[in-house]
Amino acid sequence: MTHHYQCNGPDHTLSRRRMLGALAGGGVAASTLGIDGLLRPAVAEDMKSKQRQVLFIWLDGAMSQLESWDPKPHTEFGGPFRAIPTSVPGLRISELLPHTAKQMHRLSLVRNLHTVFEDHSRAVKPIQRGDPKNRGVTYPFLGSAVAKFLGPGESRLPPYLHIKPGSGGFHYQDAGFLGARYGAIALGDGKPPSHMTRPKSITDEADAARNALRQKLNQRFRKGRREAEIDAYDYSFSSAQQLMKRKDLFDPSKLTAKDQERYGTHQFGRHLLQARRLLEAGVTFVKVTMYYWDTHADNFNLHADLLAQFDRPFAAIMDDLSDAGMLEHTTVIVLSEFGRTPKISQKVGRDHFPEAWSMCMGGAGLAQGAVVGKTNAKGTWIEGEEYDIGHVFHTIFRAIGIDPAKTEYDNNGQPLPLANEDCGPIKELLV
Amino acid sequence: MPMRRVFPTICVLLAATGAIAAEPLLHRQIDRAVAKRAGGPLAGPASDAEFMRRVYLDLSGTIPTSAEARSFLADKNSAKRQKLVDRLLAGPNYARRMQEALSVMLLERRVGKNVSAKSWEKYLRNSFAKNKPWDRLAGEILSGEGRSEPSQPAIKFFVVGGRTDQHQMTRDVARLFLGMDVQCAQCHDHPSIDEYTQADYFGLLAYLTSSKVKKNPKTQLAYFVETPLAGPLDFASVFSPEDKRKTGPRLPGKKEIAVPTFEKGKEIDQPAKDGVPAVPKFRPRTLLSEQLTSAGNERFKRNSVNRFWYLMMGRGLVHPLDLMHKGNPPSHPKLLGQLADRFAKQKFDVKWLLREMALSETYQRSGLLPKGVRAEDAPAERYQAAIAKPLSAEQLTWSLLQATGNLDALMKAAEVKDSKFTFKDYINGRIPLPADIAETMLLMTSVFGNPPGEAEVDFAPAVGHSLYLLNEPLLQSWLKPKGGNLVDRLGKLKEPAKVAEELYLSVLTRLPNDEENTEVAEYLKRFEKRRSEAIGELAWALLASAEFRLNH
Repeated sequence: MTHHYQCNGPDHTLSRRRMLGALAGGGVAASTLGIDGLLRPAVAEDMKSKQRQVLFIWLDGAMSQLESWDPKPHTEFGGPFRAIPTSVPGLRISELLPHTAKQMHRLSLVRNLHTVFEDHSRAVKPIQRGDPKNRGVTYPFLGSAVAKFLGPGESRLPPYLHIKPGSGGFHYQDAGFLGARYGAIALGDGKPPSHMTRPKSITDEADAARNALRQKLNQRFRKGRREAEIDAYDYSFSSAQQLMKRKDLFDPSKLTAKDQERYGTHQFGRHLLQARRLLEAGVTFVKVTMYYWDTHADNFNLHADLLAQFDRPFAAIMDDLSDAGMLEHTTVIVLSEFGRTPKISQKVGRDHFPEAWSMCMGGAGLAQGAVVGKTNAKGTWIEGEEYDIGHVFHTIFRAIGIDPAKTEYDNNGQPLPLANEDCGPIKELLV
Repeated sequence: MPMRRVFPTICVLLAATGAIAAEPLLHRQIDRAVAKRAGGPLAGPASDAEFMRRVYLDLSGTIPTSAEARSFLADKNSAKRQKLVDRLLAGPNYARRMQEALSVMLLERRVGKNVSAKSWEKYLRNSFAKNKPWDRLAGEILSGEGRSEPSQPAIKFFVVGGRTDQHQMTRDVARLFLGMDVQCAQCHDHPSIDEYTQADYFGLLAYLTSSKVKKNPKTQLAYFVETPLAGPLDFASVFSPEDKRKTGPRLPGKKEIAVPTFEKGKEIDQPAKDGVPAVPKFRPRTLLSEQLTSAGNERFKRNSVNRFWYLMMGRGLVHPLDLMHKGNPPSHPKLLGQLADRFAKQKFDVKWLLREMALSETYQRSGLLPKGVRAEDAPAERYQAAIAKPLSAEQLTWSLLQATGNLDALMKAAEVKDSKFTFKDYINGRIPLPADIAETMLLMTSVFGNPPGEAEVDFAPAVGHSLYLLNEPLLQSWLKPKGGNLVDRLGKLKEPAKVAEELYLSVLTRLPNDEENTEVAEYLKRFEKRRSEAIGELAWALLASAEFRLNH
């Protein structure tokens, strides 16, 4: 098996040196976007015209490609489930995804992922950071990177919200070298935090005045210190103030019975419906995490159960984004940290498998109804071209209007590529 | 200085002098080790104000009053820092601070009714007040059965909600007392950490598997007692279920203990009586408490000093704290060994250890980075500048009360008998403001503490925290003038410069600079028609600043 990367394409002919030279002197646009020099300015100008959004569904623990995007029925490792036709002629996916099957004309599949990490603790973060080359810096998660590129948009809402089971909080570590304020605001169980209403005794004027003082104190304090914690703390206040203006987004009385029925009242259904409301309100990047996909034992029953929870709400949000015309500017990504082994273990489980797995993405900026790459008949190897997570990141960045070949991070003077420079975009998915 | 304060200082000094002959002072060893691996310039010493706030928070759990700050800043004695350390270690708040820090660390905000929070807190406070050696305290927690009065509450560690399953106990004993997160090793050898084997996991489990929660039907008192262990435990990796293996109790890296067999009916040493459960002849958990906490157990010693180091310095020498293994080496390997050995040699004297750390230049370094050094060039593990630590929910509560001058009144408030206060009822408006310190603390820890079972190590400022500080009526009530509290005191000061001085000393334990003086004066002038509210807003801005939220 070869691990051939699609590199050294024409996008790579633009050298970093040339680019830095070409962009020198063009440093005006950055400030208008509030991008403050962390991106090279010419790109910022590029992005200004179109507000883009991202729905990122993270299936934590790793979904089995064989029970979802790349079924191999009637083969040695295929398992008990059939493959069914989809809205894309000739494309079949697992019968566990009947509603999603009707959405495939809006989505594309990548069936030739080959990544390097094979245990959760090593995979979850690098995969969401795009596995860049090690330059001694911590790269941002996808959500932090997109929050950085696209900002909060016209909504002024925090650009990176993360709906997850369990507790909420501020995951500033997601932001890596971008700095704490690009971290994720986690909404535990999709719920807003308490204390969203200001006491009547505090007038607008007094509130503005006291907060201006607070910010001045923070500005003075951060001089000459490690600023990550200070900025994260300050950002938690500005996020709080923006959220206070949009309490309606979390008001359950504003949900229709029909939507609740379509999405389901189970956890992931509720979370995806909440995600739709946040996207409608203009939040730039909404991440929804679903846990418990690590099916080392009893893989088939568990996947039947988990995919039933995933399928209907996912199809519902695709319909809704499409009906509202939002798919024209919203990119949808469904990803895990790796796939699962074709070999079925003695516990009727599937283990970790980064060698040949699949993901699904679609919506704005991406080809729809496409299938990229293929695995062999048993699903044990990739036949032909392979892609790594770096390719996926190049593709996603291109989809939201950033070309990693033409732009780079400026980490306090250290130029850093946006995505692994040994990779390029998945050409079949670019539009 | 009053005589009774001088005396203990002299004793400590004599003790320290005695140690010089044998070995160098530990705080000097710390500084040498840190300087050696700094890899760049070190920050200068913390200012008196910076040091005072830090050491108060670390050793007494709260910021000082403005009066204490004034007197320390004015003190010209060159040994005043050492005196302050000794005064705080001997002071009444030391035991409370250690109880709070260790409760958060060991229980991870788990709660439960088998042992009341109050009696557990009292037990820990008494232990720290008496400076009980750490190996003994850890041993009591690990071996506790709840049969004898003073240490009865020690069983809370095991019987708290969410930990009553023996697998969870095994995992938490390994994490918290040995610095090993062995969760993955329950089903197979750890996939990425060679040292954490499934045999280690089951060796630990074998000490704990026969311990059960029992209740005395007469007194309703909870016990956590050992029951007869039938034999070694069977286990097999999920990857090779055919390869069946066995282990008796065994600590990682140590010898397995043979499980004795008894004739049927002869396993019991003392039969159950009057609702008190039976005592079996073979009690592996008792052995665990002895073997785990012995000076010969390198892992225990290292984990212990690593965790105390983390409390003082803001980051473990091994970090994350529960990933002590070859693939995640300590930032200062030799120092970790020295700390561990000397702590054991000093008979696990916690006050001695904390004192040595507090006296080090490393601890007393400024939080300001050395001139010209950028944050990314001074990674925390080199300790070139002091690491900012988040205030725990408890430190934040005491400090907010202290700063706003409402502490004394609240401490004098009558205790609410059989309080029904819950966070949920409160935020849903079903019950009024907290009425005593316990209810106040419950509200604050519900907002600023992590959910049960989540360790509190890193700073995680959440939107929920900010919303609370922006909008919580209780905090607003503390900023209304009342009986000599901060806003009341400031309201009586005419001159803006006096207001600024008292405000900054009370809240941030330092004097305001020129810019800040001007800022206060302008704010008071701008809102002179509502001066009292304006003073409350000034205080709020300081309380909501990062400088207050962090122990820097």
